[in-house]
Amino acid sequence: MRVKRILILAPTLVGLFLLQSYFWVPTFEDQVKGDPGRLTRYIETSIGDASILNPTLAADSASAAINTLVFEGLIDRDLDLSFRGRLAEAWEIFEEAYLTVDETQRLPDGAPATADGLLRYLERARAAGEPALKLVRRVELLLGRSSVEQIEVTEPGPEGRKPVKRQVEVTVRQPPRIKFTLREVDQDFFTKIDRLLGGYVDRIDPSRFVKAADSIITRERAAELVPPTEHNPVVLFRLRKGILFHDGHEFDSGDVKFTYEAIMAPENLSPRVPDFEPVKAVEPLGRYAVKITYKRLFEPGFGSWTMGILPEHLLNRDALRAEAVRAGRDPKGFSLRHSQFNRSPIGSGSFQFDAWKTDQFIRLTRFDRYWEGAPNLREYLFRIIPDLLTAEVTFYAGTSDAYGAQPHQVERLRHDPRFQNFSRLGLGYTYIGYNMRRPIFQDVRVRKALGMAINVQEIIDYVLYGQAERTTGPYPKQTEFYDPTVEPLPYDPEGALTLLADAGWRRNAEGWLEKNGQPLAFTLITNSGNEVRKAVMVVAQNAWRRLGIKVETLTMEWAVFINERVDKGDFDALILGWSMGLDADLYQIFHSSQTGHFQLNFVGYANPAADALMVRIRQEYNRERQVAMARRLHRLIAVDQPYTFLFVGKGLTLLDRKLVRMVEGADGTPRYLTIVPDKLGGITFHFNEWVKTAEPVLTTN
Amino acid sequence: MAQGAATGPAAVMVSPSRLAWRSFLRDRIAVAGMMACTLFFVVALFGLLVTKGDHPVLDPRQVRLADKFRAPLSLPNRLAVPIEALPRLGVYLLGTDELGRDVFARMLEGAFVSLSVGFVAVGIAVAIGIIFGGIAGYYGRVRILRLMSVDTLITGLIDVALSFPAFFLILTVVAILRPSIWNIMVVIGLTSWEGTARFVRAEILALREQDFVQAARALGVSGPRVILRHLLPNAVAPVLVSATLGIAGAILTESALSFLGFGVPPPDATWGNILSDGKNYLFDAWWLTIIPGTAILVIVLAFNLFGEGLREAFNPRLRQL
Amino acid sequence: MLSFLLRTGWKKLWTLFFISVISFAVIHLAPGEPSQIDPMNPRFTPQQLERYRKAFDLDQPLHIQYLRFYRRLFTGELRSFKDNQPVLPKIVERVWNSLWLFLAGTILVWCAAFPLGITTAIRRNSVLDKVTTVVVFALISIPGFYLAYLLIIFVVQTFHVDVIGLRTFGHQGRNLVWSFMDRTWHLVLPSVLGATAGIAILSRYVRAQMLEVITSDYVRTARAKGLDEDTVLYKHALRNGLLPFVTMLGLIVPGLVGGSVIIETIFAWPGIGRLGYEAILSRDYPIVITLNFVAALLTLVGTLLSDLLYMVVDPRIRLEGVE
Repeated sequence: MRVKRILILAPTLVGLFLLQSYFWVPTFEDQVKGDPGRLTRYIETSIGDASILNPTLAADSASAAINTLVFEGLIDRDLDLSFRGRLAEAWEIFEEAYLTVDETQRLPDGAPATADGLLRYLERARAAGEPALKLVRRVELLLGRSSVEQIEVTEPGPEGRKPVKRQVEVTVRQPPRIKFTLREVDQDFFTKIDRLLGGYVDRIDPSRFVKAADSIITRERAAELVPPTEHNPVVLFRLRKGILFHDGHEFDSGDVKFTYEAIMAPENLSPRVPDFEPVKAVEPLGRYAVKITYKRLFEPGFGSWTMGILPEHLLNRDALRAEAVRAGRDPKGFSLRHSQFNRSPIGSGSFQFDAWKTDQFIRLTRFDRYWEGAPNLREYLFRIIPDLLTAEVTFYAGTSDAYGAQPHQVERLRHDPRFQNFSRLGLGYTYIGYNMRRPIFQDVRVRKALGMAINVQEIIDYVLYGQAERTTGPYPKQTEFYDPTVEPLPYDPEGALTLLADAGWRRNAEGWLEKNGQPLAFTLITNSGNEVRKAVMVVAQNAWRRLGIKVETLTMEWAVFINERVDKGDFDALILGWSMGLDADLYQIFHSSQTGHFQLNFVGYANPAADALMVRIRQEYNRERQVAMARRLHRLIAVDQPYTFLFVGKGLTLLDRKLVRMVEGADGTPRYLTIVPDKLGGITFHFNEWVKTAEPVLTTN
Repeated sequence: MAQGAATGPAAVMVSPSRLAWRSFLRDRIAVAGMMACTLFFVVALFGLLVTKGDHPVLDPRQVRLADKFRAPLSLPNRLAVPIEALPRLGVYLLGTDELGRDVFARMLEGAFVSLSVGFVAVGIAVAIGIIFGGIAGYYGRVRILRLMSVDTLITGLIDVALSFPAFFLILTVVAILRPSIWNIMVVIGLTSWEGTARFVRAEILALREQDFVQAARALGVSGPRVILRHLLPNAVAPVLVSATLGIAGAILTESALSFLGFGVPPPDATWGNILSDGKNYLFDAWWLTIIPGTAILVIVLAFNLFGEGLREAFNPRLRQL
Repeated sequence: MLSFLLRTGWKKLWTLFFISVISFAVIHLAPGEPSQIDPMNPRFTPQQLERYRKAFDLDQPLHIQYLRFYRRLFTGELRSFKDNQPVLPKIVERVWNSLWLFLAGTILVWCAAFPLGITTAIRRNSVLDKVTTVVVFALISIPGFYLAYLLIIFVVQTFHVDVIGLRTFGHQGRNLVWSFMDRTWHLVLPSVLGATAGIAILSRYVRAQMLEVITSDYVRTARAKGLDEDTVLYKHALRNGLLPFVTMLGLIVPGLVGGSVIIETIFAWPGIGRLGYEAILSRDYPIVITLNFVAALLTLVGTLLSDLLYMVVDPRIRLEGVE
């Protein structure tokens, strides 16, 4: 019977065909033999795809991984975390400060404070070696001018109504100003000047210079238009010559200016705006120098220039218009965000973009004309595998060279001769945050007791296999801002009970803690999908229950967690992590002005002493003073315990053992070095020196 | 079911349902399935008893970090674990998980939750199915606003519901509404009523013109009452079959959702989320994957075989063989 | 015939409209914003969040959003929130990737299900039938990802070859044949896993259908005529037993989207199911809505196709349609 035979034959043939394909596929050992080119390719796996390959627009870590290779910033961080020049060869930081002249006042010597008089007085003082003017390099006089401007004012409404907003026309009379050029940035400069001039600065009343026909302008609003004093920090970058973008065009100061403008253009919706908003102006000084002036003192602003620089000639208005026309789209609504550049970027980094298959891979090839010399590896492949377990499996099958491993995986593979593993302190810490708007958490003794009940060391040892370190405050442990003398909370459930008893919480008949008949009960939440946080949640719940606290736990999806709970301040306690920058600025996370909806001080921490420190820290350009203040802030926060600071996780990477660094020795022969982790929490500082060898080689460091 | 026939003058004849039952009992695989289901019920109820409350007999939430990843049947480390945290049974029957919690206790706790996910979801689906199917079958010819008949509307609804890729839709909705145990039950229920509705409609369409229905109507029995008392009992067989298979499907769907991170969230343990948590440690602790995975396989298989046995038993054509 | 077609078509159009409304309405229950906004960026301000919302049309009333959305979809202007690429080409590219998996799976299903179903029907209640029944049901009872992991780990640990993705990654093939075979190998596991449910369901269908046919009068007549058993079974019975093939055609099309989410995620297969999953995770509304819509459209086309095929295969349907 034909039909019967087909019915039996067809499945057999299909099955055999599928199975025989196995014999064509290379095994782990065969991959290099079959294709020596495999040695020049480096494959890294990631669970998520990049979203936009443009450093000014990207906000996710996968995009950042690619962008740092394709683009290069003016500066980056060196091995010791200090700044290192990249596109910029050298830089200088100084300050331009402005003082408004108030001619109605008198100088300390009794002479009227005319512009000329003031200037002469200051010049004389400088010549006499007055310490307040020690940093001053130059003093000059700027002429005043008048203008008419529109501003929006809020006025109290009629009889108990809501305040109304309206546009008001104001006449601004800007008096002459004295411009000081300082050798260094000094946030206390005007305090000293004020002392020198006998309270002159303090007495300047800006509302005298701003007049409106039919409205009263407050002193604060007037100060926005005519600031009595102004600090303008300046960064002067000298740019490296002869650096090429991947298309052969030379990099120059125009690209820096363009990049800044691209970030600030509202239509581009750049997530980096807050970093660059304090910039007042970016002015090219010739092709190879650029002057960056800031509106106000903002020390962390300097670090933002690690951001990759875009090529202006491909993205300026003309280029975008041409692209829109080519694509048949309306040039009017066509912004940087719409450009194909974001899918096939061109930068000046050590690798150039080659291909991007969404949710599959991104391929970069080395840039042969890179200014520091071409990398050793020819190709960088960013492979997207959404599932952690299969990512591990591809690693075993030899089709990926590295992946961000979990602690238990490193623990299992640390002695496997095929692999090498790296673990180094990261920049992120995990904490339990308490909503201090809730009455139970207002008492510092309660917050402290909750922290003391948790055996953090046990979590580190067993949940994280030792791949974490305890932390006591909000700064990365590898920076100087972190004060190593702060003691962590002890693990002491008995002590915690005593503290709670001091705060009025006592055990009832059933063993639950209560105060005035109210049980101590709250809900601990965290986002789903993070195994470590989930473990911390379970451990904390367990520990607190043992004290007699009724704790409910809840995990929710990230978007819900952030939008519904965190942003609205609608939670009791939560487990989260911060990934810290390397600067000392904590204003947005801990300042009491940042507790509103959608702001980052969602626990509602408020301490006037800490507030003042945070403001001064972000204005301080002197490293030593900044470090001293940061350490003081660290201690303050550790005492207040707005968070229970738990631990800093270590960054873990598993690599194929055959990956090493190759450098040229003094005699021109290659020398092999092992890859070493760096303080930044990465291992790729020397990525351009990496090679993959056919057999394991001996390394000399 | 069909009591009327059994007590009537023709009682000597064997009722169809009893015939079906006998035929079912002859199918040993189906009987095994049924027994496994019953056992699952018992285990789930027992699990509820021993794991609930503030101080349960077997505490599924007890964390013992020092005793993490203990293999099944291993003994607790008496030196590192505080006395009050030691397992009540003196041994980790099914091992411990990544936080040192007793897998046996967690499985017991999860059994009831998994079961209730299946039951509630299917309950919702069957209720909607019966209502829609009943209305379409019985009132099918009534026209709404002269535009279309009730039957057209409901079959249209069924068509719309069937057109959606069910799992993707469930995933979308659960992701949007956030995965809570109730959302998951309701969404699974809301997306799996079409089968029941079709069966019920067909059954009622076939029966509504028969004498006993006409007689009931002539006596002035109200519509819903006719449907409930006279028509539905005859449609019980297909409903039962699809409900049984539906429970199996719901348990599977929940585990698939768990895998994608949209399952029943902790602290409720289900076999699905125990499995999807455990699979992260497949290379370190096989039992965290194998035990819940196999448990799901067994119980879903049991429901499926049970349902299939019922289906065959109620199909008179096949029974005669 | 024509009127039947028209009527069916009209009905399907209505269905399609409701589907478009429902899939669009459902998505707007969502809390959360496009994932690109990283709320945890310490330097991200609420004003910017607002700006995003405006740029993506999210501040308009729902019905306006609905109309604008479908207008954009049909004019090809609709772009993904995530990477600003046009939605339709994105989906088409992914459908292409999924199609291979789907075809391989379908071939496997047909190859395995018919022999299985027929054999078990013929030897009803034999040991073979019982064992097959249990095995087949076990296949649909096992959580897909559980089976997938067991298989992947078994293969990789035993044979040390890659099974994830479309091909052996990072390895440039020697020649065309090699690449073809490499790709075939990477199809094996996912398509086998994708086919398990299909094999189970279809073989049960075939078995039930065959049982019904075998006990029917005309087969009995054929037997009585003295035709040999094989002819009776494979010529007369099988023709009617093929009906499920037609039904399945309509039902497997939606599997292209829904059924593949888990398998594609595990195997890092850049198909349509994974596209949908990633879109759900990042609340990429345009993609999610379009996918639901496209999937429903495919189902409709599938059912329409199977209706038509039925008409060809089974004359009774045609009569009913004309009636």
